[in-house]
Formats: sequence, structure tokens, C-alpha cells
Amino acid sequence: MNRTPYAELLSMLSRHRGVVGSFVVSERDGLAVDSNVQIGVHAEAVAALAASLHRKARLACGAAGCGTVTFLRLDAEKGGICAAGRDDLVLVTISEARANIGLLRVEMMRAAKALT
Amino acid sequence: MRTAVEPWLEEPLLRFIDDARVRLALLLESSGRVLAQHGFARSIDVMSACALAAAIHASAAEIGRQLDGNPFTTLHHPGQARQIFLGELPTARGTHILLTVFDDATSIGLVRLYFTELSRRLAAAAPAPLAITTAPSLVDFESDLNRNLAKLFGRI
Repeated sequence: MNRTPYAELLSMLSRHRGVVGSFVVSERDGLAVDSNVQIGVHAEAVAALAASLHRKARLACGAAGCGTVTFLRLDAEKGGICAAGRDDLVLVTISEARANIGLLRVEMMRAAKALT
Repeated sequence: MRTAVEPWLEEPLLRFIDDARVRLALLLESSGRVLAQHGFARSIDVMSACALAAAIHASAAEIGRQLDGNPFTTLHHPGQARQIFLGELPTARGTHILLTVFDDATSIGLVRLYFTELSRRLAAAAPAPLAITTAPSLVDFESDLNRNLAKLFGRI
């Protein structure tokens, strides 16, 4: 299988404690460009829905005059989803409740700057 | 204005339209006979779209068979402002085709996701196949087509 330029980045994010999946997603298409997920994660569904969430967050922030979205975090009962985007590409991670979100946030925001 | 000719099609299709946020949706038999529609204002547009969708689907399936040994079952064309998605939906009542048109309010990823759910719901909701007693004729096809269009546009 051909490796994309994002394979190493996704592998690094997936090594974080509690991270069960990471993706680079096209915000416009809702399709995963590359992914690194554990068995049981519905990669295609998450990619499409996370891209849609990021798009709506971007539009909402634009309408509110807050500028561009730098980091998006969705907390749920058993974990959460984080997203950081640049242009049309969005970096998405799915994590369990035990994940260190602070560290993950720093890594994702740094990695998102390198997305092209 | 009714959405579907047969009641079992209505709820899964409306659910797909709401979830995927598409602009237009057309459900048809592989012969081109319309079964359900959403978003169209004129029956002539539905007829044209059905004929084109059935032809595109048949051509794409044949290309798939020749290239790959298996027919292609879905097709996506992105345009400037709008995109189309065409997909095959097998049910106990035969193979149906969905043609949908969408814009920036949604994405191809979401359309594909909810198309998969639609396929599952239709397969589960489809009643038992009707017993075929005679071979279908062109006259029956045309009268069925016109009757379905009349039902969908509230003329009967």
C-alpha cells in the first residue's frame, strides 16, 4: 500500500495514550485522505461527520467574527473528538476519556500548521 | 405532493434527504421508471432525469464489467457549484437506483455514508417481490411511468 505524506504524522498521534484513531480529512469532500485507526472505529463515517462539524464550526466562527478555527474539541461520555485544520485539510483524532487532551492539542495544532 | 409511489419507500428516503441534506433526490427502477422524487418542480424534469440516470447507470455498470469483471455500482461527479451521486440499491423488489444532487451544504462523504444507511433501510423495508405473471410490454411501461408521475405530482 502506498504511504501518503501524512502516514508518519498520523502514526505519531495514534501513539498518544488513549487515542484510538487519527485522520487527515478533506473538509470539502468529507473523505479521509489518510487514516490510522484501531479495529472497531468506523473511519469513513467519522471522517465525513468530523469534516462537516469542522466546516460548521469554521462558518460559525466566521459569522461570529472570531476569525479562523484553530482547534475544535468535542467531549462525550466515553471520550471525544478533536480537530485542527488548515485550508481544506483537517486533522482529526478520536480519543478515550483517559487521553491527555492538553498534550494532544499542542501536538495537533503544531501538526496542522504543516498540512498542505 | 407525495414523495414516493409506494409507501415503504417514503420514510427511508425522507430520512436520507434530511440526514444528507441533498437538494434533489430521485429513486427509480433500473428501467427508468420513477418510484420517488424530492425537490423537483416539474414532472418533465423527473422524466428526463430518470431516463438519463438509468442510461448512465447501465453504461457505468457495463464499463465496470469490462474493466473489472464486476459492474460499477456508484458514480460521483463534482461540478462547480453542485455535485451528483448515482448509486445502486438492491432490494427484494428489484434493483433501484438513487440519483441525488447536492451542493456545499453537505459533502460526498456524508452522502455516501447516508446512502449506505438508505440501502440498509430499503432492503429491510421492502415487501416480498411481486409474482410476475406476464412479460412487461412497452405500452405497460409508458402507462406505468405516466401514472407514477401523476401520483408524485398530485394529479391523482
